[in-house]
Amino acid sequence: MTTPSIYRDLLLEHARHPKNSGRLESPDLRASAFNPLCGDELELTLTVSEGTIQDCKTQVRGCSICQASASMMSELILTKTLQEAANISQVFTESLQKDTEEIAESLDSLRPLIVLKKHRSRIKCMKLAWDALEDCARQNQT
Amino acid sequence: MQISPLTAKVRDDFPILKRKINGHPLAYLDNAATTQKPNCVIDAQVRFYENHNSNVSRGVYTLAEEATDIYEEGREIIAKFIGAADSGKIIFSSGTTESINLVASAWAQPKLKTGERIMVTEMEHHSNLVPWQLVAQNCGAELVYWPLNPESGNSSDGRLDLQKLDELLAESVKLKRKIRLLTVTAVSNVLGTVNPIAEIVKIAHAHGVPVLVDAAQAVARMSIDVSAWDCDFLAFSGHKIYGPTGIGVLYAKHERLEEMHPFQGGGGMIRQVGRQTSTWADAPQKFEAGTPPVAEVSGLAAAVGYLSDVGLPEIQQHELELTTHALKRFAEFKDLELYGPPETIDRSGVLSFNLQNVHPHDVAQVLDESGIAVRAGHHCTQVLHKRLGIAASVRMSFGLYNEISEIDRIFSALDQARNIFLA
Repeated sequence: MTTPSIYRDLLLEHARHPKNSGRLESPDLRASAFNPLCGDELELTLTVSEGTIQDCKTQVRGCSICQASASMMSELILTKTLQEAANISQVFTESLQKDTEEIAESLDSLRPLIVLKKHRSRIKCMKLAWDALEDCARQNQT
Repeated sequence: MQISPLTAKVRDDFPILKRKINGHPLAYLDNAATTQKPNCVIDAQVRFYENHNSNVSRGVYTLAEEATDIYEEGREIIAKFIGAADSGKIIFSSGTTESINLVASAWAQPKLKTGERIMVTEMEHHSNLVPWQLVAQNCGAELVYWPLNPESGNSSDGRLDLQKLDELLAESVKLKRKIRLLTVTAVSNVLGTVNPIAEIVKIAHAHGVPVLVDAAQAVARMSIDVSAWDCDFLAFSGHKIYGPTGIGVLYAKHERLEEMHPFQGGGGMIRQVGRQTSTWADAPQKFEAGTPPVAEVSGLAAAVGYLSDVGLPEIQQHELELTTHALKRFAEFKDLELYGPPETIDRSGVLSFNLQNVHPHDVAQVLDESGIAVRAGHHCTQVLHKRLGIAASVRMSFGLYNEISEIDRIFSALDQARNIFLA
């Protein structure tokens, strides 16, 4: 990939050895996301206590970027409240839409993903896990 | 670059092929998605807008007559190109998808009764599947599948079994479940399979079943003769035969045209309009409501002229050489799984595959870094991909300007993909 190799290596490390991979047996929240472009699928399961994410797993059938994004997300949102996680997701989405190279400090760990945003066709791959997260946050509100 | 006699002649006709992508010469190998445009197609449209632009079949002034002539001459050229007896059987649409939806809405929907059937194959593109699901749901009809060979499991040689078709049609007759239509692609956009359309039509007609042929992939790859094939409907798009986007064709037999209700209402498709009801123009105008894509028709006519000048037999021979080379290269690698017929018999230059343990998106991205354009995904055939037991694949598809050296570039870039993702 035409990205600095340090980012590429980080991304590939997450893709090959994803963190928090799989399904929680008794989740409080569960959401699936689907990429109609390629048929990729992702399932996010969360346990939540007093609004805080206690455990989080993602089951991914997708490309390296989709897998890495899910892995990075899981590390970032553990122990955060669902509201905080949803806010991070929103800032992440905005940073993918912006033309600038600037990346908010809170998203520093997602830098290897965000630098790939010039590949517009891959944004959906990056977003799949976050779509599921936002779905979980919505379910929690209702 | 190793240059074949055909490509030496044609490559300069395509300005986009001079582009560099990520520092490499563009190797455009996504011709099943859309083809690039030669200068003559681009020029035809510019010429129309610069000299003849006006609406058709409406004005009495010179420009309007010129535009009408260009539009109707385009119809004649298309009729001749696909072997239709006259241009009255050629309806212009926005593309294959609209052509098929037209048949679904204007012909199938008024005819279909509860419990009746429409037969499709497992290799159809969503554009030849979803319109039939919609119409079947609206009418309480059933969609039935002519399966790939063999009937079960994930492995398949990508072919359809004619005897199986005969059995399925006979079985439906026995069950008194009338099959209103068999709809089948002439060339698979994933497997590359070339289906024996003339024989398929013969079997279907023997059971009284009309046939629609999706010729989107076939038209730029082989000579089409709707009269010899005897199909009832045939649909294709301009942009897949080196012509413009936004223009497509539906051919329909006279008897079928007579059975068709109007598709969309509007200007141009009427005879007389009253306050409550209207009467319709004759076919083909009856199915062409609104201002038609006139500039696109002039571009499509130029594309057809271009294909005829280069020669479809020459194009077919060139594609065979490319396909033979690609198949030979595939055989060198155990970690590449190729779908569709494993040899050149019944096969065209559309080759879908997977590199073991690497996602198609990742493969395609590495190829793009080398300036190679291929498609990754399900190629609008989720039913087929599920049948093959996969979610997605990488697809290379050849056009008349492709070179053997471009195929070799793919195999070199696949090595890079192995290094990145499997090291």
